[in-house]
Parts: sequence; C-alpha cells; structure tokens
Amino acid sequence: MAAFYATHCRSYSYTYSSSINGGRNQRFSFSSSFLRLSVPAKAKVFLQSQRNSYQNAVLMQDVATKATTVEKETGLEKLKDELLSVTSSKEWDEKAGFDINENESTVSITVVGASGDLAKKKIFPALFALYYEDCLPKHFTVYGYARSKMTDAELRNMVSKTLTCRIDKRENCGEKMEQFLKRCFYHSGQYDSQENFAQLDKKLKEHEGRRVSNRLFYLSIPPNIFIEAVKCASLSASSGNGWTRVIVEKPFGRDSESSAALTKALKQYLAEDQIFRIDHYLGKELVENLSVLRFSNLIFEPLWSRQYIRNVQLIFSEDFGTEGRGGYFDHYGIIRDIMQNHLLQILALFAMETPVSLDAEDIRNEKVKVLRSMRPLQLENVVIGQYKSHNKGGVTYPAYTDDKTVPKGSLTPTFAAAALFIDNARWDGVPFLMKAGKALHNKRAEIRVQFRHVPGNLYNRNFRTDLDRATNELVIRVQPDEAIYLKINNKVPGLGMRLDRSNLNLHYAARYSKEIPDAYERLLLDAIEGERRLFIRSDELDAAWELFTPVLAELEVKKIIPEYYPYGSRGPVGAHYLAARYNVRWGDLGVEQ
Amino acid sequence: MATHITPCSSSSSSSSLTFSSEFNVCKPRKCCFSKRVSQVRPRILSRNHFQIKSSNGQPLNAVSMQDVLFGLGMDGRPLAKGIKPEEEEVFFDFSDPEEVQSTLSIAVVGASGDLAKKKIFPALFALYYEDCLPENFVVFGYARTKLTDEELRNMISGTLTCRIDTNENCEAKMEQFLKRCFYHSGQYNSEEHFAELDSKLKEKEAGKLSNRLFYLSVPPNIFVDVVRCASLKASSANGWTRVIVEKPFGRDSESSAELTRCLKRYLTEDQIFRIDHYLGKELVENLSVLRFSNLVFEPLWSRNYIRNVQLIFSEDFGTEGRGGYFDHYGIIRDIMQNHLLQILALFAMETPVSLDAEDIRNEKVKVLRSMKQLQLEDVIIGQYKGHNKGGRRYPGYTDDSTVPNNSITPTFAAAALFINNARWDGVPFLMKAGKALHTRRAEIRVQFRHVPGNLYKQNFGTDLDKATNELVLRVQPDEAIYLKINNKVPGLGMRLDRSDLNLLYRARYSKEIPDAYERLLLDAIAGERRLFIRSDELDAAWSLFTPLLKELEVKKIAPELYPYGSRGPVGAHYLAAKYNVRWGDLSGEDS
Repeated sequence: MAAFYATHCRSYSYTYSSSINGGRNQRFSFSSSFLRLSVPAKAKVFLQSQRNSYQNAVLMQDVATKATTVEKETGLEKLKDELLSVTSSKEWDEKAGFDINENESTVSITVVGASGDLAKKKIFPALFALYYEDCLPKHFTVYGYARSKMTDAELRNMVSKTLTCRIDKRENCGEKMEQFLKRCFYHSGQYDSQENFAQLDKKLKEHEGRRVSNRLFYLSIPPNIFIEAVKCASLSASSGNGWTRVIVEKPFGRDSESSAALTKALKQYLAEDQIFRIDHYLGKELVENLSVLRFSNLIFEPLWSRQYIRNVQLIFSEDFGTEGRGGYFDHYGIIRDIMQNHLLQILALFAMETPVSLDAEDIRNEKVKVLRSMRPLQLENVVIGQYKSHNKGGVTYPAYTDDKTVPKGSLTPTFAAAALFIDNARWDGVPFLMKAGKALHNKRAEIRVQFRHVPGNLYNRNFRTDLDRATNELVIRVQPDEAIYLKINNKVPGLGMRLDRSNLNLHYAARYSKEIPDAYERLLLDAIEGERRLFIRSDELDAAWELFTPVLAELEVKKIIPEYYPYGSRGPVGAHYLAARYNVRWGDLGVEQ
Repeated sequence: MATHITPCSSSSSSSSLTFSSEFNVCKPRKCCFSKRVSQVRPRILSRNHFQIKSSNGQPLNAVSMQDVLFGLGMDGRPLAKGIKPEEEEVFFDFSDPEEVQSTLSIAVVGASGDLAKKKIFPALFALYYEDCLPENFVVFGYARTKLTDEELRNMISGTLTCRIDTNENCEAKMEQFLKRCFYHSGQYNSEEHFAELDSKLKEKEAGKLSNRLFYLSVPPNIFVDVVRCASLKASSANGWTRVIVEKPFGRDSESSAELTRCLKRYLTEDQIFRIDHYLGKELVENLSVLRFSNLVFEPLWSRNYIRNVQLIFSEDFGTEGRGGYFDHYGIIRDIMQNHLLQILALFAMETPVSLDAEDIRNEKVKVLRSMKQLQLEDVIIGQYKGHNKGGRRYPGYTDDSTVPNNSITPTFAAAALFINNARWDGVPFLMKAGKALHTRRAEIRVQFRHVPGNLYKQNFGTDLDKATNELVLRVQPDEAIYLKINNKVPGLGMRLDRSDLNLLYRARYSKEIPDAYERLLLDAIAGERRLFIRSDELDAAWSLFTPLLKELEVKKIAPELYPYGSRGPVGAHYLAAKYNVRWGDLSGEDS
C-alpha cells in the first residue's frame, strides 16, 4: 500500500501508516520537540514533519517552554512503544486520553468581532471542526469579543446554531459540541478601549492558570478599526510568556499607499511574524495541491513553461450579487475584492520557480519574485463590467445599483477580466488571464492551463476545423466539486479514425470519501502552529498592490464605465475580445463546457 | 449538429454528436462501398488524389463530399434523415450507370476451423451490419469437410451476434448476410478444387470487376499449398487478389524467410496481409493518437523521462486440451515475438512522416533494427504446473494429453529488451506473457523516472522511487487509460498518495468497441496496410528472437514451474530487479 507518511497531527487515519500518525495532535504539536532530542533515530523517521518550518520555528517557541520531567518521560516511553508497534487508531485514541501533562501550554483564541457574519459562519465552525478532529491543543479557550452585551450562554447559543460535524464522523457529535461550547466565553467591550482589553486579559489569565499562555487574536472587524483593535490587544492583552499572533482578513488597504500605511501601523504594535494576513483561497484544498502536482510529479514540471503552455486562466465566478450587502463592496470593487488577492496569490503559486524547500519563507520568497517580475496591469488589458437587472422565468433579478446599500450612480465593477504578464525566462509572452465576477451564470473557481498545439500534428486532417482549439488543457477545479482533469485527444472507439477530446479525470468526490475541510480550518490551525506558508507577507502584499494600484487609480480618475451584463449571464462580451487580443479563448465558456 | 452520417466510423453515442462539430472524421475508405460509390470513385480520386494515400481522414473539403456519398445505404437511399435531397442530386450527377460495378469475394479457407467460426464470420457479419462491406459481396467458405451451403450457414449462424447498442433488425440482417454465404469443399493442395471455386466465384461475380480476398485460416504447413492453388487457379482476372495470413509466420529466422520466399513465388508483397490481431485493438490504435496528437505526452517520450516500459499479456487459462500447436511454438513465439514486439515498435518509433502504411512500417522497422538481440540472461521462462484450489484440481501443462509428458516448452516468459538509439538508450522494455496466470489482461505500462530533488521527499515514507508517475494503457479487458499521479490527500495534513487521472472507456464511450478482426478485415478490403506486418518487419523481429530461442532449445533450459492460476514464476521479479525496476501490475496497488 502506497500510503506515504503523513507525519502530522493533522493527517487522518484510514490507512495503516496514517493510523500511526493520526489523531493525536496534542502529542505531536507539543511534545515532538523533546522527542526530537531524545528519541532514537529509528523512531525519528516517523516523527519527522514535512513542514520543516514547523519544526524549526514552532518548536523553538513551543518547546522552550517545556521543562518537565517525569510525565514527559512516560509520555515518551508510551509514544515510542506505540510507534514501534503498529496499533490501530482506536487504541491510540483511548491511550491519548490519559496523556496528562499539567504544564502544557494553553492557547486562547479571541475572536474580535464575534457577533459578525464571518465569525458565525466560518470561524466558530472551523474552530469546532478542529476541536472535533483533535487538532486543538489540550488546553484552549475561545473568547468572543464584540460590542454587543451578551452573556457566555448567549454566545454559546448563537454559536451552537452554526456548528456541524463532518458527515463522515458523526458519532458523539452532540457531546463534542457541548464540550466545545463549554470552552467558549464572551467578553463585551469597545474595539478601541484598552481598558476593555485589559479586562479581557484578566479573564484570559484566569483560564490560562499558570501554564504558558499563547494567544491568537482573529480580527473579524471592519478595516477602519483594525489598528485600534490591534493597538489595544497588543498593549493590554498580549501574552506574558508565550506567543501572541494576530490574524487579519482582507481588505488590506485599497491601494499601495493605504496598504503601506496599514502595514506601518500594524508594525508599530506587532512584529512581522506576529501578523497573519489570511487569504482563505490559499487554504483551499486544490490550491494546496497545486504545488504537490507540480513538484511531486515528473510529468508536469517539464511542461511548466512558455515552451508548452499557451496561456493560464484563473477564473472566479459567483452566481449571486451583493444582495443588500453592497456597502463594503462598493467601496472596493471586484478587482480589489478577488483579483488583487485571491487570484493573484494563486497565480504566484502557480508560476513561481521551485523553492529551496517547502518552508514558509522559501515559498514566499519565490512568490514575491514572481510578483516583482510582473508588468503592472495596463488599462487596455482590463475589461470591467457591472450587472444589470434581468427577467428570467418571471423572476426579476436586481441590478447592482438596485441594491439599496449601493449608490445610484456607482461605477464599481462587479466583473473584471484582465491579462497579466510575467516578464521572466519561464513565462515571457504567456498571457495569464484572470476573470472574476458576481451575478454570473454559475459559481466556480478554477485554474485552467491551456497547452500549445502539437507542432506538425500528424492527425491534422482529423481535426475538422481549428486545430488550435484541440489543444490539451489541464483544469484544476477549486470549487465546487473539486476535481483535476486533463483534456487529451483520443481516438473515438470504432472502426474509423475519429478523434475527440476526452478527460483524464480525478474527481475528488469519487476518489476520496472524506469531507474536504474548509479553508478556514487549515488556516486557523496553521496560525496556531505558527506555519506561515499560506499567509501573506508584507512584501508580497506591497508587490501585489503595485501591480494593481495604477490601473485602479486610472479607472477611478477616468471614471471608466463598466460594460453592463444581465444578472445570471456569462458576463460582458468584452472578456472575449480581451482573450482574442492574445489569440486565446476562455476555457470555461467553450461549447464543451 | 451531426450532419455527417458515417455509418462505419462515427459513434452513435450522444457524446459524439456533441463533438462532431469539432472533429468528426470520416474515414471514407472504411465506409460503405455502395454500388454508386465505386462508380464514382475514380472521379473523386482524380480530384482529390491524396485520398489514395490517406490512411486517415481528410481535409474538410474532401470529407463533406465523401460524407454524402457514404451516407447512402445499400440501395442508394440515404441512411439517415441528415442528408438532404439536394445533396443526393449532387451525388447523382457524378454517377455513371454504364461503368462496371465491382464485387468483393471473400474466401475463408479453413472455414470449419475454430478461428473462422469464432472470429472471422462474426467479424464479417459485424461489418455487413454496420454497412461497411461493399454492396456486392459474397463470402465463400472453403474446407475439406463436405458441407452444403445450408450446413455452412447453420454452422456460422450460431456465432453471429449483433452489437448490443444497435440490434434492431438483427434477425433480418443476419438472414440477408447468410444468403450471401456459400461453401465449397476441396483439398487445400488441389489446384483443381480451387479452379472449381474460381468458377463458382465467377458465377457470383457475373462479369463485374472482381476483387478477391482469401483468408487463410489453416495450419502453417499447408499455407504455401493453399497460396499456390489460390493464386494459380482462383486469382481475380481484372481486380485485386489479396491473401490474409495468420501467425505463425515460421518458427525462426530461417523458416520464416523460407515461408516468405514461398509466398512471394505466388504473391507480390502488396498482396500479402500478415495479420497480427493485437494491432487491431482499440487501445493499440490509440497509442499513436495519444502520442502524436497531444502536446503533453511527446516531450516525455524518451529516456529523459521514461524509466522503463512494460508490455504485459496474461491469460487465466492454460492450453485446455489444445496444446498440440502451442507445444511446438511456446509462449515466446506465440505472444512475444509478434504481439508484444509489434506494440513495442509502435510505442517506441520515431514520428513517421505521415500516417501512411509505408511510413509507419518504415519507422517500426527502424526500431526493430536498432534493438539489441535478446540475451539468455535477460529472459526468464516458466511452465505452469498442477494446482489445487478450493477443492478443484487445475492441471499442469504437461497433464494436457496433447502435450508431450516431458515438454519443456515455456508457457510463461519475461524478457528485458533494449533499443540502442538516441531516444531509448538504457531504457529497459520489459515484456511478460503467460498462460494459466491469475488474471486475463493485456496492458502497456510506462513508468516515469522519479522527480529529481523532490521537495516532498519527506512525505514519502520509504521509497521515493516507487512513487513515480505511471501511464497505463489497458488494452483488454475493460479498456482504459490512466495516469498515476502523486496527489495530496484532502485534509488538514500534508499526506501524499497516488491517484489516477482516469479515462475508463466504458464510462466515456457508450459504443461497443469493435473486435480487432473487424478492423483488420476492413483494412484488408480497403487495401490499408498500416496494421499488417511487412516482410522486412517480420525478418527483423525474428532476428531479435531466433538466437535466444535456439539457445533455449539447444541447452534444454528447464522452465521455472509455477502453479496454475498464480502470478507466474518469481524469476520475473528478479529479472526486473536486475534493471532496478518493478512490475507495475504486481505492485499491490493495482488490481
């Protein structure tokens, strides 16, 4: 059985090898350091984490705090035994329950903006999923922080409505939920009040006892109060003896200047390695898999350049509009909301050179290099659109400007297509097409790699019309319905010689029975573990803004009017003309799709 | 959308309709040679002379014309509603009623044999059913047994079947087909009897242009006699005469050369159609399509990226009372020297100038001639022995009453071959063929090299080299193409495993895949020689294997015995290990 070693607390146990590794995260995250020092070389193989950075960076932080003796020794003995003898994951779980270590560290996760939408829909459910999967440290508390007055019970009540268990492991769901909720608390306070944060600090200390205290703040609040909250949290509620990390969500400014100002302000209170800028697209399963595909398969890397790739398409579409929440959006527009961050990040991951290692800094160095090799986006390489109302089947779908939260004369794009270029040896001349839009005909996020045509194709005569259209294409469907497929030309079975395109397919739902974790789970866990690979570094952010800021300014100054497209349509036709300009076609709007 | 009706080559599945606008391709030579088509042909050819050479498809302008023509059924009426009357009129403008019609006579020599009953007649009927045979054709069975026409029809009707997906009118079609089947009894070495056959054929042909195809389904020792008689007494006077011969083509270089020499006394090279039915298999046909019409494969197709190639054939039954022929030849001659070697040549050849038969066969010969002769130390032979399983006794090879008791004929063989050219230097081509194994299967496995400097090394617990990419073409059963890739197992951790990028034919194409014999018969009728073996190919193939075969016989090398129904002798693993590779089919991952 080719189950390769997972070596992480986070892997699941449905194969022999992963049962060794599965399901005892606390052990791994918090005791692997001393194992590393003292376990015989034989066992070390099992423990080696693929995430170097984790070992090097996190352990330094986490490990230093562990100074106990007896319990550790026994824990070690037990772990060694189990590693050397194959045990089922079930036994493991049972044994893991007895692994008591009074001096373990604690993690306090404070969700600032706890009554907001994101917190309810994503953050608390992700935390619960991590708890359910035994991925949180043994000692943890979750604090909601917001202005509304609420009791702990009211928060729990609110949170409990959005918690779900994975479909594939529903046992004990109710019980687990109860246990989780018992660890959730609420503190009401102003976002700019140091005093209120000091109260929070006191409450946190109570829960932490005398253990090493690590604190993670998740800032789920509007951008205008980012800095205030960071200031208060940093000054009044930082951990005294452990780490303090802050997760911030987009928007990170709205152009180079405001972004730089935000970074500068954050850095007044936080060091770079305390700031975790989240881009939840980087936490998506298939975006994570992109590097695996490229770097662990011989067959892809030789093709990964201008020599074989004709163009790359990054496509995002939503099938709904702002639906009464246009206030924030109208200030930013689709380019800032989707392209400058999500799509550009995927592009950088896709196009980067092979990093020295999988460490966060090595990967982010390579991404920055890509971004800095890119030409700033030109106005003629951008098409913008805005959806208008549309009648279909007796239902009237509203236009963007029908949204009450949107100014009547708004020119904010709800759709944009752009062609970007990387001026380096690998990608010179290869168009990277991006497309993002709201209120389109479907909901989808995908990466399409279109290959060049076969030079001197022997089967030319079998392609009726346009040979160039029958090229190979690799599609990585990020959502929904994760899949990877490679379009190949194939002979249609039968007596004749007729070719058509078929797919070499990997459909996740068919291949993997497990539910795919939400991006937020992965990212929260990474932040807790200090793994920065999927978070955006300040210089990355600067480079990203530099590409988009001039064109964004130009769009606003010139008051460029977006091309209108009906709600639920395929978007403005301008996108096709943009593609045509570079002699390519959108892969998602072909007949075959 | 599908305006082109090409009964023989277009699929009836809905997917084909979807795609037809883009690359629907008709292979005109493969489509019905109706009466009028053959009349018109010379004119078409004079306009589009490249069609004569073209083995596959043509440009749009030619195809659309052809489609009209080939859209006509036996009676000249459109086969489907897709063809408009105006087009039909256009067609009639070309027709010339004065011109002589051609006929096709197919003589199956050895009509009472097994192959004829199981494969040849059913394939002919399938072609007829799909309207792929010319309008005027007759089928003659020839054998020594005394049979009436009626008895022959009775005998073959038992084995005819209609396609699962198009079985309307099956009965009626069968009746019509059988009406065109006749029988003539005669000796295989009697010129007189063949002269009688000739006069019967002439009767049926009724003065039309006569084309004759002889299918020799007879033991090798009477090949030459039959060819002599058929050629001298029953050749067509005004059309072509072609002869299909089946393996064995000799048992070594000398006997093969002798056979070729004898055949050539009576036939020219282009009359001889040496059949290797593996070349007619769907996925073997597709091999060149995959390579040459996809950008993503060609860059990988060399020693730079391919670690080794495996050609695997296994049967899950033994000789079962028919060991007489087999014992004289053995598995190496029966499977490797022909079927597997042919696939290897197709796989490894350089890009041909075109898809024409001569161009492809030239490239195949180049591969064969670049190969190192097979060495004894690169071969493992085996023979199955009796085995008890689940209370059932499976016989050993030598338990077969038609096999000599002390036979050391191999029923299993594995071999490592090498091509000493720039593309393949140092890449082992492993072959494995065996009877009485645990599965029935034929496949091509391409194992790629490991990723140099793999970043994810630490994720592969033990042996990184084992987690390489692999492209598998499963020829039978259950046709499929899949590419094994390393992929992240979904979840919070970073665990890799191998997953398949998959194309399972059954799931993608609803059409039944035609039997290899149908394709090959149709090609022979159409004069398409791409899938038949040329004399120089055969010579080159034999010279690779002959020294080894002689050495095995002279040294009386004893085969390694393996139990009936097992995975074959372990020696095969040691052979692979010698070149630091592993058999892909026995890795445990794969069923």
